[in-house]
Amino acid sequence: MLFLSTLLDQPVVGKSGEVIGRLEDLIVRMGDELFPPISGLVVRDWRRRFFVPVSHLLAFADDTRLSSLTVDLQPFARRDGEVLLRKDVLDHQLIDITGRRIVRVNDVQLAAVEGVYRVVGVDISPQALLRRLGPRSLAHRIVGRQIIGWADVQYLASAAPVQLRVSYDRLTELHPVDLARIVDALSYREGAEIVAALDDETAAETLEELSDERLAELLEGMDQERAADILEEMDPGAVADALEDLDKEIAEQLLAKMEPEDAADVQLSLSYDEDSAGRIMSTEFVRMPEGATVGDTFAYIQSMEEPPDPLLAVYVVAADNPDRLIGIVRLRNLILNSHDTPLTDLLDDHVPTVHPDDPAEDVARLLAEYNLLAAPVLDDDNRLVAIVTVDDAMAVLLPEIWQRRGSRAFR
Amino acid sequence: MTLRDRISSRLPRLPRIPRRGLWPYLLALGPGLLAASAGNDAGGIATYASAGALYGYGLLWAMVLVTICVGVVQEMSARLGAVTGKGFSDLVRENFSLRATAFILLSLLIANMGIIVSEFVGIAAAAELFGVSRYIAVPISAVLVWLLITRGSYQRVEQIFLTLSLVFLSYIGAAFLAKPDWGAVLYETVQPQITWSTDYLLLLIALIGTTISPYMQLYVQSSVVEKGVTPHEYRYTRFDVFIGTLFAGLVASFIIIATAATLFPSDRPLESATEAAQALRPVAGPYAELLFGIGLLGASLLAAGVLPLATTYMLSEALGIERGVSHSWDEAPVFNMIFTTLVVLGALFALVPGLPLIQVLIGVYVLNGVLLPISLITVMMLVNNRELMGNQVNGRFYNIFAWTITVVVSLLSLVMIGATVLEWFTA
Repeated sequence: MLFLSTLLDQPVVGKSGEVIGRLEDLIVRMGDELFPPISGLVVRDWRRRFFVPVSHLLAFADDTRLSSLTVDLQPFARRDGEVLLRKDVLDHQLIDITGRRIVRVNDVQLAAVEGVYRVVGVDISPQALLRRLGPRSLAHRIVGRQIIGWADVQYLASAAPVQLRVSYDRLTELHPVDLARIVDALSYREGAEIVAALDDETAAETLEELSDERLAELLEGMDQERAADILEEMDPGAVADALEDLDKEIAEQLLAKMEPEDAADVQLSLSYDEDSAGRIMSTEFVRMPEGATVGDTFAYIQSMEEPPDPLLAVYVVAADNPDRLIGIVRLRNLILNSHDTPLTDLLDDHVPTVHPDDPAEDVARLLAEYNLLAAPVLDDDNRLVAIVTVDDAMAVLLPEIWQRRGSRAFR
Repeated sequence: MTLRDRISSRLPRLPRIPRRGLWPYLLALGPGLLAASAGNDAGGIATYASAGALYGYGLLWAMVLVTICVGVVQEMSARLGAVTGKGFSDLVRENFSLRATAFILLSLLIANMGIIVSEFVGIAAAAELFGVSRYIAVPISAVLVWLLITRGSYQRVEQIFLTLSLVFLSYIGAAFLAKPDWGAVLYETVQPQITWSTDYLLLLIALIGTTISPYMQLYVQSSVVEKGVTPHEYRYTRFDVFIGTLFAGLVASFIIIATAATLFPSDRPLESATEAAQALRPVAGPYAELLFGIGLLGASLLAAGVLPLATTYMLSEALGIERGVSHSWDEAPVFNMIFTTLVVLGALFALVPGLPLIQVLIGVYVLNGVLLPISLITVMMLVNNRELMGNQVNGRFYNIFAWTITVVVSLLSLVMIGATVLEWFTA
């Protein structure tokens, strides 16, 4: 097995065995390939550093052997798209996709695949550090490696000071909760890089899980159009919380750039106090007129462009006034009854309702006490405006989750 | 009403943090203030008290210069943290060779461990001033510090530390009780004068060495990162750093004033902060002693919290493990384990009977003196690295100033070490 640490600073010899210099670094071209190929060598001769294209490389053995007699000594200069293994990868942080964590690279594994030297993995074991720290002659005595394949890590382009085109496909394997944990733990620059690579929907789910402070930082640093696109996908209550942490001008600009419909939801949320039911309620639910049957309901839900998620119950309203709540039919009752059953036969007897200004904690307790999955929210004029689901209420009842999320905040 | 108007009418109803005026500056207070205050620990207090007792107001002018130097050094560390979002050892690991990293961090670890012991010794000494046995005071303090860091969130820790740093005000009280000649104080502060004697110069160097410490740089950078300060908000943090340094410099000056007004001219340096407190009693009254003692206790407690924390940040960053006071035990087990070990070891060593404390402490300060040039030069190289800092590198004149400080302070601390080592051989 070939490791970067055993090659670095070792002599580079030409065809006839003369020492040209010492190996300073290896250049890797990042692109769509799963295992990036080595494209060149940086050789150091005293204080001069020059570039040797990989075509001159014969093999890595105890030393680095070149195939040519003469090497035209081009002074080395950094170019876009190129990563230096020693400078930009070794000792830097990567995301371990399968382990769902941030790791530090203690060594880089290389291998010749069909004649081309490629980066195949990274060693994150403490033993690798010891091997590099001690004298070279003792290194082989320290055993133990913990290698993660390059296909299972996500390289962060912000580690290199040049423009890079890095594929972020692997990030999609991570759950937004894990992504958020990673973004929180990384520096701002690295976190922004990750969020920029996600699609709007995943980015929205990730941002919802972030600490308030990090969220505000990211939104302020992002392109406003992109920020608005992500905010549209987020829960209006979460957006409201986030906007309050922003500079007022930026918050206004972001809201103005959002789709009017989504912006209106956020405004509604903003009009309620933080920690009130208004902040955790959702306006996405299914209303059915009084006369409808189970079959009508199924047909209606299936015809919806984006059916609400979670879908726990349907809300039966007066036929002449869609804002007047008649009652609730649980999903279970819908499934268990034939298609021609009128909804009014399946109504729950007792349905507690809440007001948007009620403290969120009281709403959460109510849901827990009555074993409800959701409660309808009625405004001052008794109009049905939204629902609060048990999912959203959970976060209020489990304060340690909030504590952790709020931990980075200035407040 | 347009959409924009409606938004405007709603947003101002709910501001949690006013983002204008003085507020953000006040909210940013923390990392810089605490790092600078932690520099005024038991060892520092003893040095300042000696300066006043031996040379009267004669070293006050030096405090002005030293304070400016501390401000510059601390500002660069804070800027590194804010711009890169990474702690000191993170950056060292990523930008220096592994062997250099190991050398820098290992020596910082040893030096910090020594200072942690000295902080618990300071707690013991302060407790005994109030007639409380060290075998009670030290374990209680260790448990308090441990509980605070492992159970609290970053904000909580910062709030408690900030409150604790209010005890430094007691030195200002002590200085007033000492009834100094304020005219002379003012005159000596703006009138530099050097006495060309070895003792004077050594004390001057000690003053610099105790005020500029590597652990202060570590702490300010790591806590700026954990607080989540961004380049955008950095101006508030810079205010925090400068105000903190100014506060620490004022406190140090008032300690000098207190002993200068009462103990000067003394024929020998004060061995410890406790001795200074006791010496104040006959001249300035029991309240002066009490205030000095409270200051010592608070200062040692603060540093006993800040130092293990700074050291833990340093180690866990370098090893690349999850870190931060804001995480629970389950989330950051290694972080908490390192922290616990440092506190327990520090407290235990401080309680070992018959430990040759003075020698241990001198050894620790010598080590810190060796480290100071290393950490200063490291910070200078990092802060001027355009790949890391972009356009936030030092400006040209600021850079010349910062390099001058680095070179002068480094040379002085090497002279100090030379003198101390020479003393070992001649004694």
